[in-house]
Amino acid sequence: MPMLQPSKKNGFLGGGDGRVLDLDTAVKDGVLGGVGGGGLGTGVLEKLDLNKMIEELNLSTVPSVFICPISLEPMTDPVTLCTGQTYEKSNILKWLGMGHYTCPTTMQELWDDMLTPNNTLYQLICTWFSQQYVQMKKRSENAQGRASELLSTLKRVKGQARIQTLKELQQLVSNHSTARTAVVDEGGVALLSSLLGPFTSYAIGSEVIATLVNLTLCSDSKANLMQPSKVSAVIDVLNEGSIDAKLNCVRLIETLMDDKGFRAETISSHSLLVALMRLIRDKRHPNGHFPGLALLKSISIHNELRILILNIGAAPQLIELIPFLNPECIELALFTLEALSSTSQGKQALKDCPKTIPTMVKLLMRISEICTAHALSILLSVCKLAPEECSSVAVETGIAAKLLLVIQSGCSQILKQQAAELLKLCSLNYSDTMFLSKCKLTRTIQ
Amino acid sequence: MGSVCCSQQHGRADSDEIEQTAEIEDRIERESKAEEHIQKLLLLGSSDSGKSTIFKQIKLLFQNGFDDAELKSYIPVIHANIYQTIKILFDGSKELSQSFSDSSRFHVSDENKEIGERLSEIGSRLEFPYLTPEIVEEIETLWQDNAIQETLSCSNKLQVPHCAHYYIENLQRLSNPGYVPTKEDVLYARVRTTGVVEIQFSPVRENKRSGEVYRLFDVGGQRNEKRKWIHLFEGVTAVIFCAAINEYDQTLLENETNHLMETKELFEWVLKQPCFEKTSFMLFLNKFDLFEEKVLKVPLNVCDWFKDYQPASSGKQEIEHAYEFVKKKFEELYFRSTSPDCVDRVFKIYRTNALDQKLVKKTFKLVHETLRRRNLFEAGLL
Repeated sequence: MPMLQPSKKNGFLGGGDGRVLDLDTAVKDGVLGGVGGGGLGTGVLEKLDLNKMIEELNLSTVPSVFICPISLEPMTDPVTLCTGQTYEKSNILKWLGMGHYTCPTTMQELWDDMLTPNNTLYQLICTWFSQQYVQMKKRSENAQGRASELLSTLKRVKGQARIQTLKELQQLVSNHSTARTAVVDEGGVALLSSLLGPFTSYAIGSEVIATLVNLTLCSDSKANLMQPSKVSAVIDVLNEGSIDAKLNCVRLIETLMDDKGFRAETISSHSLLVALMRLIRDKRHPNGHFPGLALLKSISIHNELRILILNIGAAPQLIELIPFLNPECIELALFTLEALSSTSQGKQALKDCPKTIPTMVKLLMRISEICTAHALSILLSVCKLAPEECSSVAVETGIAAKLLLVIQSGCSQILKQQAAELLKLCSLNYSDTMFLSKCKLTRTIQ
Repeated sequence: MGSVCCSQQHGRADSDEIEQTAEIEDRIERESKAEEHIQKLLLLGSSDSGKSTIFKQIKLLFQNGFDDAELKSYIPVIHANIYQTIKILFDGSKELSQSFSDSSRFHVSDENKEIGERLSEIGSRLEFPYLTPEIVEEIETLWQDNAIQETLSCSNKLQVPHCAHYYIENLQRLSNPGYVPTKEDVLYARVRTTGVVEIQFSPVRENKRSGEVYRLFDVGGQRNEKRKWIHLFEGVTAVIFCAAINEYDQTLLENETNHLMETKELFEWVLKQPCFEKTSFMLFLNKFDLFEEKVLKVPLNVCDWFKDYQPASSGKQEIEHAYEFVKKKFEELYFRSTSPDCVDRVFKIYRTNALDQKLVKKTFKLVHETLRRRNLFEAGLL
């Protein structure tokens, strides 16, 4: 019977991912006895703390001997079987409870069903995690202290020193929650916001924004950031920044839009929309498509901003993009287009774009009900604008069969009604027989 | 024998020629390669928008500034400005006294009238006498006349140059025999740019190693026939368009057009030019300091373009609000005049005060950064 040998070379305990827990250092660091090792009396308390520590630390480099082979999670109550293999108590109980009478790893039949608590391993686990925890706490405190230091430095320095300070602060804030709290508590948000203005260089602007997105901003801070000159600074970075900087800008703008004091005119800027469209169309960085489209959708909800979106020619651009997007992105794009189609300029712009109808027809019953709903609504708006012209195009691209599909499907009643309405509209110019022939499933749909 | 000698000489001349040609072609190639790396910037804007002041500032910041001889060469200009100013004020007071009902406030006192007439006459000549202490005294007396001060307060109807206050205040210093103009004096000097002026410079940065070379062109003087020569500037890296935003209430007496509307038309025209399809546009909203002073006293809606403006608050906030409104109007205008395929051009708006050297330096640093990033982006490195 093949036996799984724990890798024991020269007194080393194999650790996960190259982290070796050797005996010497283990003794020196006090993992073996000494620091944190308690008697059984403190068992329960330690267990609670251990669970908390494991969760907080969320480490990926836990030594493999501490990991339960069944759940692949660190063990908080290790028990050993008669085969010598150790498991997390709750997991092995479940295994045995399912009727298995074997050792999960060695596949041996158990000759004894006793579960021996592996105190030694438990102590080691506790000590190791405690150590890690203490170290992390120290780093956090350091982070907190360092963050305070950096904030006061920021008030003094200029030029290159300022950029360096900001860079370090941004790193701290993204890695340590204590740094984040420190910055917020010590008025760091106001200080950072004050760096945004009409003369902010790109280096400073991008670092400030990268830092701000990691912080919780109160309503006042958001109101402060919504000042026109600061918004302009953000838009500038969105326009000419690296992909990461752009994504940070998108996140920041979304946070600002979340605030109940938000007014649409804060972001009523053509430059913002042009920058957003550029992000959405950037083929080199597809990870920007979803965030960009999500923000565009949020913007299109506001009536007064729809005209701006149309002014920069976004409607035909979105139509052209749709075939290249993944489903979630398509849904966002369709939402925006439907919002735009509710305005008269939108209807006109969509009608003028030759690819609108074919693209929308293709999307019917293709991706999801929501997408179908959007596409249907857009088609209705456009066709109602110029019924004769549009309906012939639509019919040629196979809309009839698709609409029949919708009507026969399990979609909502409203959708079916809309489909019926559109079908009627399209059929007006055709004789019955002609139209019936168009209703057959054509290659376009297959 | 002679013919042999001749042909030998011919041979030598030929090889000399070939060598020379090769050298010339080599030089042409080198220089064209160097030319490609020089980024060209074009200053545009209506008259009195501050283009030439920006030009002078760049010269002061990134070149060796003005040497003594150049500074002294501005003395006639400065003196001319003074004469022109006082003439405009005096003539203006006469005009206003005719067109206003309560004309008495524009009536220059009798003693000063004579001075006024004399100075006005001087001001209409083509050449001006050097400022003597006597003339200085006369100017000062006239300046202090109530009527002249009243006229000054209505300066939006006249063409009183901004330098008026500055020069009159410094009159004593400017009329000294050994007077050498300061940098600031030169910046205020107003002279109509004729032809094209250009300077080549390299923006000096903190680490001193900046490879970019810029060449700045100021074509201020030409008012008409722009469409004939504007295409010569195709391929220019960026257009710096200067618009003096304090001019929203200033009209030209001759044809009653508002200065800012003229700027608006010019901007629209420039944006639509095919030669600028790929050019970056840097809009300098200039004379911000004068705008700040004016906007709280004169509402923006006096200008047709801004008639839908509504003041929101007061004080500093109001100034910012008004500025944002103007900025938005220019932005709207830009996007309205831009075809969809040009929408990817770089377009940025900066608020400037061309007379403030520090501000110009800061602004230009940002312009330089934007252009650099654009280059990197186009090279696919960003």
